[in-house]
Amino acid sequence: MIELQDALRKKEIWAIGGGKGGIGKSLITGNIGITLARLKKKVLLVDADLGGANLHTTLGIGVPEMTLSDFLNRRVENINDVIIKTSIPNLNLISGAQDFLDAANPNFAQKTRLLRHLETLDADYILLDLGAGTSFNILDFFLFSDHGILVVLPEPTAIENAYRFIKSAFYRRFKKVVANQNIKDLIDAAMDQKNTMGIRTPFDLIERVKSMEREVGEILELEVLKFRPKLVVNQVRTKNDVQIGFSMKSACQKYFGINLEYLGYVEYDDCVWQSIRSKRPLVIEYPYSRPARCIERIVHNLLRKEQMTLSMLY
Amino acid sequence: MLKKIDDMNYYELLEVSYRATPQEIHKAYERVRKIYDPNSIALYSLFSPEETEKIRQRVEDAYRTLIYDENRRDYDRTLRDIPPLPETPQPELRYQQRPLAAPQRTPRMAEPTVPAAEPRAEEPQQQQVPAQPPMPAAAQPAPADITEFSGSVLKMMREQRGLSIRSVADTTKLSTRFIEGIEEENYKKLPARPYIRGFLVLYARTIGYESDRIVSDYMKRFDAAMNPPKK
Repeated sequence: MIELQDALRKKEIWAIGGGKGGIGKSLITGNIGITLARLKKKVLLVDADLGGANLHTTLGIGVPEMTLSDFLNRRVENINDVIIKTSIPNLNLISGAQDFLDAANPNFAQKTRLLRHLETLDADYILLDLGAGTSFNILDFFLFSDHGILVVLPEPTAIENAYRFIKSAFYRRFKKVVANQNIKDLIDAAMDQKNTMGIRTPFDLIERVKSMEREVGEILELEVLKFRPKLVVNQVRTKNDVQIGFSMKSACQKYFGINLEYLGYVEYDDCVWQSIRSKRPLVIEYPYSRPARCIERIVHNLLRKEQMTLSMLY
Repeated sequence: MLKKIDDMNYYELLEVSYRATPQEIHKAYERVRKIYDPNSIALYSLFSPEETEKIRQRVEDAYRTLIYDENRRDYDRTLRDIPPLPETPQPELRYQQRPLAAPQRTPRMAEPTVPAAEPRAEEPQQQQVPAQPPMPAAAQPAPADITEFSGSVLKMMREQRGLSIRSVADTTKLSTRFIEGIEEENYKKLPARPYIRGFLVLYARTIGYESDRIVSDYMKRFDAAMNPPKK
Protein backbone atom coordinates (compact mmCIF):
# COMPACT_ATOMS: atom_id res chain seq x y z
CA MET A 1 0.00 0.00 0.00
CA ILE A 2 2.77 2.39 0.89
CA GLU A 3 4.47 1.51 -2.32
CA LEU A 4 1.35 2.36 -4.27
CA GLN A 5 1.08 5.78 -2.68
CA ASP A 6 4.69 6.45 -3.45
CA ALA A 7 4.17 5.51 -7.03
CA LEU A 8 1.25 7.88 -7.36
CA ARG A 9 3.34 10.79 -6.22
CA LYS A 10 4.44 13.05 -8.99
CA LYS A 11 7.91 12.03 -9.82
CA GLU A 12 10.14 12.36 -12.81
CA ILE A 13 12.70 9.91 -14.05
CA TRP A 14 15.52 11.30 -16.14
CA ALA A 15 18.01 9.11 -17.93
CA ILE A 16 21.38 10.41 -19.04
CA GLY A 17 23.02 8.49 -21.87
CA GLY A 18 24.95 9.17 -25.03
CA GLY A 19 26.39 6.10 -26.65
CA LYS A 20 30.05 6.89 -26.30
CA GLY A 21 32.12 6.34 -23.19
CA GLY A 22 34.05 9.06 -21.40
CA ILE A 23 31.90 11.96 -22.51
CA GLY A 24 30.92 13.04 -19.02
CA LYS A 25 27.62 11.26 -18.46
CA SER A 26 28.36 10.41 -14.83
CA LEU A 27 29.87 13.82 -14.15
CA ILE A 28 26.84 15.60 -15.54
CA THR A 29 24.40 13.27 -13.78
CA GLY A 30 26.11 13.75 -10.44
CA ASN A 31 26.28 17.50 -10.72
CA ILE A 32 22.72 17.88 -11.98
CA GLY A 33 21.70 15.78 -8.99
CA ILE A 34 23.55 18.00 -6.54
CA THR A 35 22.15 21.16 -8.13
CA LEU A 36 18.62 19.77 -7.87
CA ALA A 37 19.16 18.69 -4.27
CA ARG A 38 20.29 22.21 -3.42
CA LEU A 39 17.00 23.45 -4.81
CA LYS A 40 15.37 21.38 -2.04
CA LYS A 41 14.22 18.62 -4.37
CA LYS A 42 14.43 15.06 -3.20
CA VAL A 43 16.85 13.44 -5.60
CA LEU A 44 17.86 9.84 -6.09
CA LEU A 45 20.78 9.06 -8.31
CA VAL A 46 20.87 5.57 -9.75
CA ASP A 47 24.01 4.28 -11.33
CA ALA A 48 22.52 2.21 -14.12
CA ASP A 49 25.90 1.76 -15.72
CA LEU A 50 25.90 -1.92 -14.91
CA GLY A 51 29.39 -3.25 -15.09
CA GLY A 52 31.13 0.11 -15.29
CA ALA A 53 29.76 1.96 -12.33
CA ASN A 54 31.54 5.04 -11.05
CA LEU A 55 28.87 7.57 -10.23
CA HIS A 56 29.79 7.25 -6.56
CA THR A 57 33.32 8.43 -7.37
CA THR A 58 32.13 11.63 -9.02
CA LEU A 59 30.24 12.30 -5.79
CA GLY A 60 33.32 11.61 -3.70
CA ILE A 61 31.97 8.47 -2.05
CA GLY A 62 34.22 5.44 -1.66
CA VAL A 63 33.22 1.94 -2.75
CA PRO A 64 29.79 1.55 -1.19
CA GLU A 65 28.76 -1.42 0.93
CA MET A 66 25.36 -1.89 -0.63
CA THR A 67 25.07 -1.80 -4.38
CA LEU A 68 22.62 -2.61 -7.10
CA SER A 69 24.14 -6.05 -7.42
CA ASP A 70 22.84 -6.94 -3.95
CA PHE A 71 19.41 -6.15 -5.24
CA LEU A 72 19.81 -7.90 -8.57
CA ASN A 73 21.16 -11.00 -6.82
CA ARG A 74 18.28 -10.90 -4.38
CA ARG A 75 20.61 -10.61 -1.42
CA VAL A 76 18.18 -7.86 -0.44
CA GLU A 77 14.55 -7.92 -1.46
CA ASN A 78 13.67 -4.27 -1.16
CA ILE A 79 15.42 -1.74 -3.36
CA ASN A 80 15.13 0.82 -0.55
CA ASP A 81 17.76 -1.16 1.35
CA VAL A 82 20.46 -0.38 -1.19
CA ILE A 83 19.92 3.37 -1.08
CA ILE A 84 22.91 5.20 0.38
CA LYS A 85 22.59 8.61 1.96
CA THR A 86 25.17 11.11 0.76
CA SER A 87 26.63 14.00 2.70
CA ILE A 88 24.47 16.37 0.68
CA PRO A 89 20.97 16.85 2.08
CA ASN A 90 18.15 15.51 -0.12
CA LEU A 91 20.58 13.55 -2.26
CA ASN A 92 20.58 9.74 -2.16
CA LEU A 93 22.40 7.25 -4.30
CA ILE A 94 21.94 3.72 -5.50
CA SER A 95 25.40 2.67 -6.47
CA GLY A 96 26.03 0.50 -9.49
CA ALA A 97 26.78 -3.15 -9.45
CA GLN A 98 30.41 -3.80 -8.66
CA ASP A 99 31.35 -7.28 -7.92
CA PHE A 100 29.85 -9.96 -10.02
CA LEU A 101 30.66 -10.88 -13.55
CA ASP A 102 27.11 -10.99 -14.86
CA ALA A 103 26.25 -7.54 -13.58
CA ALA A 104 26.58 -5.95 -16.99
CA ASN A 105 24.10 -8.39 -18.46
CA PRO A 106 21.10 -8.72 -16.18
CA ASN A 107 18.55 -11.09 -17.57
CA PHE A 108 15.10 -10.03 -18.57
CA ALA A 109 13.52 -10.88 -15.22
CA GLN A 110 16.16 -8.95 -13.30
CA LYS A 111 15.76 -5.94 -15.53
CA THR A 112 11.98 -5.81 -15.28
CA ARG A 113 12.17 -6.25 -11.52
CA LEU A 114 14.61 -3.34 -11.33
CA LEU A 115 12.44 -1.09 -13.49
CA ARG A 116 9.34 -2.04 -11.50
CA HIS A 117 11.03 -1.18 -8.23
CA LEU A 118 12.44 2.07 -9.57
CA GLU A 119 8.92 3.25 -10.22
CA THR A 120 7.97 2.78 -6.58
CA LEU A 121 10.89 4.72 -5.14
CA ASP A 122 10.22 7.83 -3.16
CA ALA A 123 11.85 10.91 -4.71
CA ASP A 124 11.02 14.00 -6.70
CA TYR A 125 13.61 13.20 -9.30
CA ILE A 126 15.27 9.93 -10.13
CA LEU A 127 18.35 10.30 -12.30
CA LEU A 128 19.60 7.25 -14.15
CA ASP A 129 23.21 7.34 -15.19
CA LEU A 130 23.43 5.03 -18.20
CA GLY A 131 26.48 3.25 -19.47
CA ALA A 132 28.12 3.55 -22.84
CA GLY A 133 27.00 1.61 -25.87
CA THR A 134 23.61 0.77 -27.30
CA SER A 135 22.85 -2.54 -25.64
CA PHE A 136 19.20 -3.36 -25.09
CA ASN A 137 19.46 -2.81 -21.36
CA ILE A 138 20.72 0.72 -21.80
CA LEU A 139 18.13 1.52 -24.46
CA ASP A 140 15.38 0.16 -22.25
CA PHE A 141 16.42 2.37 -19.35
CA PHE A 142 16.49 5.32 -21.70
CA LEU A 143 13.04 4.61 -23.10
CA PHE A 144 11.67 3.88 -19.64
CA SER A 145 12.50 7.37 -18.37
CA ASP A 146 10.30 10.44 -18.65
CA HIS A 147 13.12 12.48 -20.12
CA GLY A 148 16.06 11.02 -21.97
CA ILE A 149 19.11 13.25 -22.02
CA LEU A 150 21.91 12.67 -24.51
CA VAL A 151 25.42 13.89 -23.86
CA VAL A 152 27.78 14.53 -26.78
CA LEU A 153 31.17 16.08 -27.25
CA PRO A 154 31.86 18.32 -30.23
CA GLU A 155 33.77 15.48 -31.87
CA PRO A 156 32.77 13.23 -34.78
CA THR A 157 33.18 10.06 -32.71
CA ALA A 158 30.77 11.18 -30.01
CA ILE A 159 28.30 12.57 -32.52
CA GLU A 160 28.35 9.39 -34.55
CA ASN A 161 27.59 7.37 -31.43
CA ALA A 162 24.88 9.77 -30.36
CA TYR A 163 23.11 9.35 -33.68
CA ARG A 164 23.48 5.61 -33.48
CA PHE A 165 22.04 5.74 -29.99
CA ILE A 166 19.07 7.80 -31.13
CA LYS A 167 18.47 5.45 -34.02
CA SER A 168 18.70 2.35 -31.89
CA ALA A 169 16.44 3.74 -29.18
CA PHE A 170 14.03 4.84 -31.82
CA TYR A 171 13.82 1.49 -33.58
CA ARG A 172 13.60 -0.36 -30.30
CA ARG A 173 10.65 1.77 -29.38
CA PHE A 174 9.10 1.02 -32.75
CA LYS A 175 9.50 -2.67 -32.16
CA LYS A 176 7.76 -2.41 -28.81
CA VAL A 177 4.64 -0.84 -30.23
CA VAL A 178 4.13 -3.21 -33.14
CA ALA A 179 2.86 -6.71 -32.68
CA ASN A 180 3.12 -7.99 -36.22
CA GLN A 181 6.18 -10.20 -36.59
CA ASN A 182 6.68 -9.26 -40.23
CA ILE A 183 6.96 -5.59 -39.35
CA LYS A 184 9.29 -6.42 -36.47
CA ASP A 185 11.54 -8.22 -38.92
CA LEU A 186 11.35 -5.25 -41.24
CA ILE A 187 12.47 -2.90 -38.44
CA ASP A 188 15.35 -5.22 -37.65
CA ALA A 189 16.35 -5.21 -41.29
CA ALA A 190 16.10 -1.44 -41.47
CA MET A 191 18.60 -1.09 -38.62
CA ASP A 192 21.19 -2.38 -41.03
CA GLN A 193 22.31 0.68 -42.94
CA LYS A 194 23.26 -1.43 -45.96
CA ASN A 195 19.94 -3.22 -46.22
CA THR A 196 18.84 -4.31 -49.65
CA MET A 197 15.35 -2.85 -49.45
CA GLY A 198 16.50 0.72 -49.90
CA ILE A 199 15.37 1.79 -46.45
CA ARG A 200 17.78 4.55 -45.51
CA THR A 201 15.91 6.79 -43.12
CA PRO A 202 13.06 6.35 -40.63
CA PHE A 203 10.82 8.00 -43.20
CA ASP A 204 11.51 5.22 -45.68
CA LEU A 205 10.73 2.70 -42.98
CA ILE A 206 7.44 4.30 -42.04
CA GLU A 207 6.43 4.51 -45.67
CA ARG A 208 7.22 0.84 -46.14
CA VAL A 209 5.26 -0.10 -43.01
CA LYS A 210 2.36 2.02 -44.17
CA SER A 211 2.25 0.17 -47.45
CA MET A 212 2.04 -3.06 -45.47
CA GLU A 213 -0.36 -1.93 -42.76
CA ARG A 214 -1.54 1.61 -42.83
CA GLU A 215 -2.63 1.86 -39.19
CA VAL A 216 0.64 0.55 -37.84
CA GLY A 217 2.49 3.11 -39.93
CA GLU A 218 0.40 5.85 -38.42
CA ILE A 219 1.11 4.59 -34.91
CA LEU A 220 4.81 4.72 -35.71
CA GLU A 221 4.43 8.26 -36.98
CA LEU A 222 2.89 9.24 -33.65
CA GLU A 223 5.77 7.56 -31.85
CA VAL A 224 8.20 9.70 -33.81
CA LEU A 225 6.47 12.85 -32.62
CA LYS A 226 6.39 11.64 -29.02
CA PHE A 227 10.08 10.79 -28.98
CA ARG A 228 11.78 13.96 -27.81
CA PRO A 229 15.27 13.29 -26.49
CA LYS A 230 17.24 16.16 -25.04
CA LEU A 231 20.77 17.16 -25.84
CA VAL A 232 23.70 18.44 -23.79
CA VAL A 233 26.98 19.32 -25.50
CA ASN A 234 29.87 18.80 -23.12
CA GLN A 235 33.42 20.18 -23.29
CA VAL A 236 32.50 23.19 -25.34
CA ARG A 237 35.51 25.34 -26.21
CA THR A 238 34.30 27.75 -28.89
CA LYS A 239 31.14 29.36 -30.11
CA ASN A 240 31.13 26.92 -33.03
CA ASP A 241 30.96 24.09 -30.53
CA VAL A 242 27.86 25.64 -29.00
CA GLN A 243 26.42 25.88 -32.47
CA ILE A 244 26.80 22.12 -32.92
CA GLY A 245 23.83 21.58 -30.65
CA PHE A 246 21.62 23.62 -32.96
CA SER A 247 23.07 21.89 -36.00
CA MET A 248 22.32 18.47 -34.54
CA LYS A 249 18.81 19.59 -33.73
CA SER A 250 18.30 20.64 -37.32
CA ALA A 251 19.88 17.48 -38.72
CA CYS A 252 17.73 15.27 -36.47
CA GLN A 253 14.61 17.08 -37.55
CA LYS A 254 15.50 16.59 -41.18
CA TYR A 255 16.83 13.06 -40.98
CA PHE A 256 14.74 11.36 -38.27
CA GLY A 257 11.86 13.79 -38.11
CA ILE A 258 12.32 13.90 -34.35
CA ASN A 259 12.46 16.96 -32.22
CA LEU A 260 15.74 17.02 -30.37
CA GLU A 261 15.63 19.57 -27.57
CA TYR A 262 18.86 21.43 -27.02
CA LEU A 263 19.07 21.74 -23.24
CA GLY A 264 22.43 23.42 -22.99
CA TYR A 265 26.16 22.98 -23.03
CA VAL A 266 28.94 22.60 -20.50
CA GLU A 267 32.07 24.62 -21.11
CA TYR A 268 35.48 23.04 -21.09
CA ASP A 269 37.52 24.06 -18.08
CA ASP A 270 40.49 22.70 -16.22
CA CYS A 271 38.53 22.80 -13.00
CA VAL A 272 36.51 19.81 -14.23
CA TRP A 273 39.38 17.36 -14.30
CA GLN A 274 40.83 18.92 -11.18
CA SER A 275 37.59 18.27 -9.32
CA ILE A 276 37.53 14.67 -10.55
CA ARG A 277 41.13 14.11 -9.43
CA SER A 278 40.35 15.53 -6.02
CA LYS A 279 37.22 13.30 -5.90
CA ARG A 280 35.05 16.25 -4.98
CA PRO A 281 31.95 17.16 -7.02
CA LEU A 282 32.46 20.05 -9.41
CA VAL A 283 29.54 22.20 -8.27
CA ILE A 284 30.73 21.91 -4.67
CA GLU A 285 34.46 22.36 -5.25
CA TYR A 286 34.11 25.13 -7.87
CA PRO A 287 30.57 26.48 -7.53
CA TYR A 288 31.32 29.69 -9.40
CA SER A 289 33.22 28.12 -12.29
CA ARG A 290 31.83 28.37 -15.77
CA PRO A 291 31.01 24.64 -16.12
CA ALA A 292 29.11 24.76 -12.83
CA ARG A 293 27.13 27.72 -14.12
CA CYS A 294 26.38 25.82 -17.31
CA ILE A 295 25.03 22.92 -15.28
CA GLU A 296 22.80 25.27 -13.34
CA ARG A 297 21.44 26.56 -16.62
CA ILE A 298 20.75 23.03 -17.82
CA VAL A 299 18.85 22.25 -14.61
CA HIS A 300 16.94 25.47 -15.02
CA ASN A 301 15.95 24.51 -18.57
CA LEU A 302 14.95 21.04 -17.44
CA LEU A 303 12.75 22.27 -14.64
CA ARG A 304 11.09 24.90 -16.77
CA LYS A 305 10.82 22.57 -19.78
CA GLU A 306 12.70 25.09 -21.85
CA GLN A 307 15.53 24.75 -24.30
CA MET A 308 18.26 26.80 -25.87
CA THR A 309 17.19 29.30 -28.48
CA LEU A 310 19.27 30.74 -31.25
CA SER A 311 18.97 34.23 -29.88
CA MET A 312 21.20 33.16 -26.99
CA LEU A 313 24.02 32.88 -29.48
CA TYR A 314 23.86 36.29 -31.09
CA MET B 1 3.16 16.21 -39.64
CA LEU B 2 6.16 14.16 -40.54
CA LYS B 3 7.92 15.40 -43.60
CA LYS B 4 10.73 13.98 -45.60
CA ILE B 5 13.46 16.41 -46.47
CA ASP B 6 12.51 16.25 -50.16
CA ASP B 7 8.93 17.21 -49.33
CA MET B 8 9.84 20.22 -47.20
CA ASN B 9 9.06 23.56 -48.73
CA TYR B 10 11.67 26.29 -48.80
CA TYR B 11 10.46 27.86 -45.59
CA GLU B 12 10.66 24.57 -43.71
CA LEU B 13 14.05 23.88 -45.21
CA LEU B 14 15.46 27.16 -43.96
CA GLU B 15 13.51 26.83 -40.70
CA VAL B 16 11.91 30.24 -40.98
CA SER B 17 8.31 31.34 -40.66
CA TYR B 18 6.20 32.22 -43.67
CA ARG B 19 6.33 35.84 -42.57
CA ALA B 20 10.11 35.98 -42.23
CA THR B 21 11.77 39.21 -43.29
CA PRO B 22 14.63 39.15 -45.81
CA GLN B 23 17.05 39.72 -42.94
CA GLU B 24 15.73 36.68 -41.10
CA ILE B 25 15.91 34.62 -44.25
CA HIS B 26 19.47 35.68 -44.84
CA LYS B 27 20.49 34.81 -41.29
CA ALA B 28 18.74 31.45 -41.48
CA TYR B 29 20.44 30.71 -44.77
CA GLU B 30 23.88 31.43 -43.37
CA ARG B 31 23.10 29.13 -40.46
CA VAL B 32 21.64 26.27 -42.46
CA ARG B 33 24.42 26.51 -45.00
CA LYS B 34 26.94 26.08 -42.20
CA ILE B 35 25.09 23.03 -40.90
CA TYR B 36 25.14 21.30 -44.28
CA ASP B 37 28.71 22.21 -45.05
CA PRO B 38 30.64 19.14 -46.23
CA ASN B 39 32.99 19.55 -43.26
CA SER B 40 30.24 19.99 -40.69
CA ILE B 41 30.70 17.39 -37.97
CA ALA B 42 27.11 17.65 -36.79
CA LEU B 43 26.07 15.59 -39.81
CA TYR B 44 28.72 12.99 -39.36
CA SER B 45 27.43 9.47 -40.13
CA LEU B 46 23.90 10.72 -40.78
CA PHE B 47 23.91 11.86 -44.40
CA SER B 48 26.10 10.60 -47.21
CA PRO B 49 28.17 13.19 -49.12
CA GLU B 50 25.76 12.95 -52.08
CA GLU B 51 22.77 13.58 -49.83
CA THR B 52 24.50 16.53 -48.19
CA GLU B 53 25.26 17.96 -51.61
CA LYS B 54 21.63 17.57 -52.62
CA ILE B 55 20.41 19.31 -49.49
CA ARG B 56 22.94 22.10 -50.03
CA GLN B 57 21.65 22.58 -53.54
CA ARG B 58 18.09 22.82 -52.27
CA VAL B 59 19.11 25.27 -49.56
CA GLU B 60 20.75 27.45 -52.22
CA ASP B 61 17.58 27.29 -54.32
CA ALA B 62 15.48 28.14 -51.31
CA TYR B 63 17.61 31.15 -50.51
CA ARG B 64 17.65 32.43 -54.07
CA THR B 65 13.90 32.09 -54.25
CA LEU B 66 12.97 33.64 -50.94
CA ILE B 67 15.47 36.49 -50.84
CA TYR B 68 14.19 38.13 -54.03
CA ASP B 69 10.78 39.59 -53.46
CA GLU B 70 9.52 38.79 -56.93
CA ASN B 71 10.59 35.15 -56.87
CA ARG B 72 9.22 34.79 -53.39
CA ARG B 73 5.83 36.06 -54.43
CA ASP B 74 5.72 33.60 -57.32
CA TYR B 75 6.79 30.81 -55.02
CA ASP B 76 4.21 31.72 -52.38
CA ARG B 77 1.58 31.48 -55.06
CA THR B 78 2.61 27.91 -55.93
CA LEU B 79 2.53 27.05 -52.24
CA ARG B 80 -1.04 28.21 -51.86
CA ASP B 81 -2.12 25.63 -54.42
CA ILE B 82 -0.97 22.91 -52.10
CA PRO B 83 -3.70 22.37 -49.54
CA PRO B 84 -1.91 21.35 -46.31
CA LEU B 85 -0.34 24.62 -45.33
CA PRO B 86 -1.65 25.61 -41.94
CA GLU B 87 0.48 28.67 -41.24
CA THR B 88 -0.28 30.85 -44.23
CA PRO B 89 -4.02 31.45 -43.85
CA GLN B 90 -3.61 33.03 -40.44
CA PRO B 91 -1.41 35.95 -41.43
CA GLU B 92 -3.74 36.57 -44.34
CA LEU B 93 -6.64 36.92 -42.00
CA ARG B 94 -4.70 39.41 -40.00
CA TYR B 95 -4.02 41.43 -43.15
CA GLN B 96 -7.65 41.78 -43.87
CA GLN B 97 -8.69 42.76 -40.43
CA ARG B 98 -6.28 45.61 -40.04
CA PRO B 99 -7.33 47.91 -42.91
CA LEU B 100 -10.84 48.02 -41.47
CA ALA B 101 -9.58 50.05 -38.57
CA ALA B 102 -6.90 51.89 -40.47
CA PRO B 103 -8.95 54.13 -42.80
CA GLN B 104 -10.87 55.59 -39.88
CA ARG B 105 -7.72 56.37 -38.03
CA THR B 106 -5.69 57.91 -40.84
CA PRO B 107 -7.63 61.11 -41.55
CA ARG B 108 -7.81 61.94 -37.87
CA MET B 109 -4.12 61.36 -37.35
CA ALA B 110 -3.16 63.17 -40.51
CA GLU B 111 -5.29 66.26 -40.20
CA PRO B 112 -3.61 68.22 -37.44
CA THR B 113 -0.13 67.98 -38.94
CA VAL B 114 -0.89 68.06 -42.62
CA PRO B 115 -0.43 71.43 -44.27
CA ALA B 116 -2.75 72.80 -46.90
CA ALA B 117 -1.30 70.71 -49.69
CA GLU B 118 -2.15 67.43 -48.06
CA PRO B 119 -5.86 66.65 -48.50
CA ARG B 120 -5.21 66.31 -52.19
CA ALA B 121 -2.89 63.42 -51.57
CA GLU B 122 -4.96 61.89 -48.88
CA GLU B 123 -8.21 61.18 -50.66
CA PRO B 124 -6.96 58.66 -53.21
CA GLN B 125 -5.05 56.94 -50.44
CA GLN B 126 -8.18 56.27 -48.51
CA GLN B 127 -9.85 54.59 -51.42
CA GLN B 128 -6.87 52.40 -51.97
CA VAL B 129 -6.69 51.05 -48.50
CA PRO B 130 -9.20 48.21 -48.44
CA ALA B 131 -7.90 46.85 -51.72
CA GLN B 132 -4.29 46.33 -50.72
CA PRO B 133 -2.99 44.29 -47.80
CA PRO B 134 -0.88 46.29 -45.36
CA MET B 135 2.31 44.45 -46.15
CA PRO B 136 2.90 43.07 -49.65
CA ALA B 137 5.56 40.45 -50.22
CA ALA B 138 7.48 42.73 -52.58
CA ALA B 139 7.95 46.48 -52.73
CA GLN B 140 5.21 48.22 -54.66
CA PRO B 141 5.82 51.31 -56.72
CA ALA B 142 4.99 54.37 -54.69
CA PRO B 143 1.32 55.31 -55.23
CA ALA B 144 1.16 57.33 -58.42
CA ASP B 145 -1.63 59.57 -57.17
CA ILE B 146 0.52 60.99 -54.39
CA THR B 147 2.60 63.80 -55.77
CA GLU B 148 4.18 65.09 -52.61
CA PHE B 149 5.82 62.70 -50.17
CA SER B 150 6.02 64.87 -47.13
CA GLY B 151 6.81 63.53 -43.66
CA SER B 152 3.17 63.35 -42.71
CA VAL B 153 2.30 61.46 -45.88
CA LEU B 154 5.04 58.96 -45.09
CA LYS B 155 3.66 58.62 -41.60
CA MET B 156 0.23 57.94 -43.01
CA MET B 157 1.59 55.35 -45.42
CA ARG B 158 3.36 53.66 -42.56
CA GLU B 159 0.23 53.56 -40.44
CA GLN B 160 -1.73 52.05 -43.28
CA ARG B 161 0.70 49.18 -43.25
CA GLY B 162 -0.08 48.71 -39.58
CA LEU B 163 3.54 49.35 -38.61
CA SER B 164 4.59 51.23 -35.51
CA ILE B 165 7.60 53.53 -35.34
CA ARG B 166 9.19 50.93 -33.11
CA SER B 167 8.78 48.12 -35.62
CA VAL B 168 10.13 50.24 -38.47
CA ALA B 169 13.06 51.15 -36.24
CA ASP B 170 13.67 47.47 -35.51
CA THR B 171 13.67 46.48 -39.16
CA THR B 172 15.72 49.39 -40.44
CA LYS B 173 18.02 49.36 -37.39
CA LEU B 174 17.56 53.13 -37.25
CA SER B 175 16.90 54.98 -34.04
CA THR B 176 13.24 55.85 -33.40
CA ARG B 177 14.46 59.45 -33.08
CA PHE B 178 15.42 59.56 -36.74
CA ILE B 179 12.17 57.99 -37.86
CA GLU B 180 10.23 60.53 -35.89
CA GLY B 181 12.46 63.22 -37.35
CA ILE B 182 11.70 62.09 -40.87
CA GLU B 183 7.97 62.00 -40.26
CA GLU B 184 7.88 65.34 -38.47
CA GLU B 185 10.24 66.85 -41.04
CA ASN B 186 12.21 68.01 -38.05
CA TYR B 187 15.53 68.28 -39.85
CA LYS B 188 17.39 69.33 -36.72
CA LYS B 189 16.87 65.81 -35.38
CA LEU B 190 18.41 64.32 -38.50
CA PRO B 191 22.04 63.96 -39.55
CA ALA B 192 23.60 65.31 -42.76
CA ARG B 193 21.89 65.07 -46.14
CA PRO B 194 23.49 61.87 -47.54
CA TYR B 195 22.52 59.95 -44.40
CA ILE B 196 18.92 61.05 -44.64
CA ARG B 197 18.87 59.74 -48.16
CA GLY B 198 19.97 56.32 -46.97
CA PHE B 199 17.47 56.36 -44.12
CA LEU B 200 14.65 57.12 -46.52
CA VAL B 201 15.56 54.23 -48.79
CA LEU B 202 15.39 51.88 -45.80
CA TYR B 203 12.20 53.47 -44.54
CA ALA B 204 10.46 53.19 -47.90
CA ARG B 205 11.43 49.56 -48.29
CA THR B 206 10.29 48.72 -44.81
CA ILE B 207 6.84 50.11 -45.42
CA GLY B 208 6.76 48.15 -48.67
CA TYR B 209 7.26 50.78 -51.36
CA GLU B 210 9.89 51.35 -53.96
CA SER B 211 12.13 54.08 -52.73
CA ASP B 212 13.15 56.17 -55.76
CA ARG B 213 10.21 58.56 -56.05
CA ILE B 214 9.71 58.85 -52.31
CA VAL B 215 13.37 59.66 -51.74
CA SER B 216 13.77 62.19 -54.53
CA ASP B 217 10.56 63.93 -53.57
CA TYR B 218 11.38 64.07 -49.90
CA MET B 219 14.90 65.30 -50.62
CA LYS B 220 13.47 68.10 -52.73
CA ARG B 221 11.40 69.20 -49.76
CA PHE B 222 14.45 68.90 -47.55
CA ASP B 223 16.55 71.05 -49.88
CA ALA B 224 13.80 73.63 -50.12
CA ALA B 225 13.58 73.88 -46.37
CA MET B 226 17.32 73.96 -45.72
CA ASN B 227 18.25 76.40 -48.51
CA PRO B 228 15.33 78.79 -48.78
CA PRO B 229 15.43 80.71 -52.05
CA LYS B 230 17.21 84.02 -51.51
CA LYS B 231 15.23 87.12 -52.10
